[in-house]
Amino acid sequence: MRYALFLGCKIPSQLPAYAVSTRAVLAQLGVTLIDLAFDCCGYPARNVSRDAFVLAAIRNLALAERAGLDVLTPCTCCFGTLRHAIRFQGEDAALGARVASALAEEGLAWSGKTEVEHLLPLLSRKVGVGALAAAVRAPRTGLRVAAQYGCHALRPSNIARFDNPTAPTMFEALIRATGATPVDWPRRLDCCGDPLHQANAPLSEDLTRAKIDDALESGAEAICTACPHCHLRFTAVESGGTDPALRTLLYTQLLGLAMGLPAASLGL
Amino acid sequence: MSPALFQTALDASLALCALGLLWRSSAWFRLRIGPDARAVTPSGRVAAVLRGAASALFSRRALRLLGAFLLDVLFLRRLFASEKLRWLAHLLIVAGFTLLLLMHALAPLVSARLFPGYQPTLAPYLFLRNFFGVMLLVGVALLLFGRWRAGLAQWRRPTAAVFVALLGFVLASGFLLEAHKIASPRAFYRMSEQFIGSSDSEELKPLRALWASEYGVAFDDLKAGIDPRLADQGRTLHGDACAACHTPPASAFVSYPVARLLAPLTGRLDAGHAAAWLLYLHVFACFLGLASLPFTRFFHVVAAPISVLVDAVGPSSAMSAAGRASRRALALDACVRCGVCDARCSVAPLARYLGNPGLLPARKLQATAAMASGRLLPSGQDGDAQWDAALRAADGAFLCTDCGRCTSACPVGLDLADLWQAGRGDLAAAGLPAPAQWVQARPALAWAELLEPGPALQKFSDPDASMAPLCADRRSFSRCVQCQTCTNVCPVVAHSTDCEHGIDLTPQKVMNLLRLGLGDLALGSRMVWDCATCYQCQENCPEGIRVTDILCELRALAVRRLGAVRGRGGVA
Repeated sequence: MRYALFLGCKIPSQLPAYAVSTRAVLAQLGVTLIDLAFDCCGYPARNVSRDAFVLAAIRNLALAERAGLDVLTPCTCCFGTLRHAIRFQGEDAALGARVASALAEEGLAWSGKTEVEHLLPLLSRKVGVGALAAAVRAPRTGLRVAAQYGCHALRPSNIARFDNPTAPTMFEALIRATGATPVDWPRRLDCCGDPLHQANAPLSEDLTRAKIDDALESGAEAICTACPHCHLRFTAVESGGTDPALRTLLYTQLLGLAMGLPAASLGL
Repeated sequence: MSPALFQTALDASLALCALGLLWRSSAWFRLRIGPDARAVTPSGRVAAVLRGAASALFSRRALRLLGAFLLDVLFLRRLFASEKLRWLAHLLIVAGFTLLLLMHALAPLVSARLFPGYQPTLAPYLFLRNFFGVMLLVGVALLLFGRWRAGLAQWRRPTAAVFVALLGFVLASGFLLEAHKIASPRAFYRMSEQFIGSSDSEELKPLRALWASEYGVAFDDLKAGIDPRLADQGRTLHGDACAACHTPPASAFVSYPVARLLAPLTGRLDAGHAAAWLLYLHVFACFLGLASLPFTRFFHVVAAPISVLVDAVGPSSAMSAAGRASRRALALDACVRCGVCDARCSVAPLARYLGNPGLLPARKLQATAAMASGRLLPSGQDGDAQWDAALRAADGAFLCTDCGRCTSACPVGLDLADLWQAGRGDLAAAGLPAPAQWVQARPALAWAELLEPGPALQKFSDPDASMAPLCADRRSFSRCVQCQTCTNVCPVVAHSTDCEHGIDLTPQKVMNLLRLGLGDLALGSRMVWDCATCYQCQENCPEGIRVTDILCELRALAVRRLGAVRGRGGVA
């Protein structure tokens, strides 16, 4: 399996451990990652200009197509943005034409073949939970983990095609493969609060805090994330709060530890 | 040249240069960039910088500083990593200029002390002077070629072009002066008078024959077919009086051919005292360059190495607020406008598609400088153009994703990420915050009233379909039956129970306003701007209405429509 790795903007600058651990784990699982000169997924322009947002997203897919690769992203927000852009330009012929002509100015084209895949479905479906379980050398037996799906992975389900949007099981199955125990927590499908961090900080913190409290009440020792935005928000609110009882753990770190990879190779 | 005149001019240009350096570098302690910079005084900043420099120099970090000086300042390692042509050009200029300065301009202080018997007219100095000059010339030519290739036909500041022209003039006058002196009989006779005690052309004929054939002097009567035996007769005198200070100048591989070319004109040049005025031009052009250096953007030769060394000490986040403030101000002088950051910027495609180059780092740095010196914000008398420029700068600042690629690529070690954050703080404090913040300045109804009277304004019932196709098409929301499912699943509604950050409308009310053609009432609402885009409403709508997508479109419409009426009666 070969993919162009789309890290987005947050991971390289603020959560390099996610890039490091993703590379370390996937290298062991036979997934080859190629680095292309990707730019911003387009998300910041969504509140400003639909054209600019779709163009920026599709331009990245055109870069992947030129390299003959599908795109794999560990960022749930980039995943949602790229998938949205595909839908928007597909349902609006005039927009599609504007995208094509803007790409042509750079000698690029996008035929629509590029798949955008998120890290979790790749591990769950393409690598397979069985193969993960077989790769586990040091099972995290007894560790109680709350799975943080992330909104843009699940919804809207017709775009994300990720898992059942109201009763997903994918992340819990992936956690179980590491030997850890997924906890059932009522707020597991809720928003982490990050998108409101700039616009309305108190509201954002309310949302994050509610999730952390819920995970703790449900007996979790760690929240497991698969998105830099969720991860950074939980980390920021936890370290600012009084209760550091709940760890924030990237799924690639949990899996890597279970596979017996040294902590340093996972950015820990 | 009279020594007194030379000394006076040198002293004056040194004084001007020193004053200029002092004035420019004082900005590093005066300019305030970022809200945290307002809390520290200039004297506090001087103290912080001195403390920081001392603690870096007298610790293990001194080794890191030394490494940075060798690799990043002298070898320009970071530029090598990103742009090979520009790196080569810079290395040629830095090396050529430094070596010329040490060997040639400061000869009495450097060359004469290091190399006993140094004379500018001896090998290998004849060759080296030409070689260093050509290094400098090729470097400048490569930079100009790079500008031309990048489509930069015009200089943003005329002083920069004048300074480059001055540098070219120094080089050209230097080569011409050397060439002319090689060919000049007047110079020959002046020396013979001084060292032989004679300027009699007949008496000196053998020596002249030797100098015409081997040293390129263009004597009128010794042009073609010099008898080698006559020249040989001059060798003894040459050995006694000349050879200690002169070797054949053919190794001056630029000046010597030029001297041969100038030979037919030498008589007229000598008559016009060309050697004297070329010397004046050359020396005074150097003095002019020295005096004006701090006032041009070539001040970066001072600021950029300092910036590289500061970066080697540690990140801005580890510095005190006072140290950080000074580092930000230094960045404005250290930036060489090389454009490496723009090429690496992850929102560069967005800048293109939005038609706003204000998103790009180099422009943002200019806007930061303008903001710090009070030139960005419009005042009462300013027209729409100034408003537009300020708003576009703000748009650029707030669309940055903080990916950090500009910072990691910057060849002079600017902490651009820190500058952007500081700049956004300044913009917000000056009434130009991110859209999500400025819409909060008025309640939804007040925004709608502002939109009311303008006949020039687009009616909401007819929003641009290419920009907001869902809002423009009634079919996308007319199916709403007001069942409240969207409101019931909305986490923002659920968390807005207290008044402190309560919302005004619910998602279903926004859909209803759209159905009634009253979308203007929703544009400035908290629901639209506090939507977390979690897509619960859209996922759960029994009628399949794309509620979240519509809220996102409303934000884009609000940025445009409310932005247009924003300036009325104040910034916010």
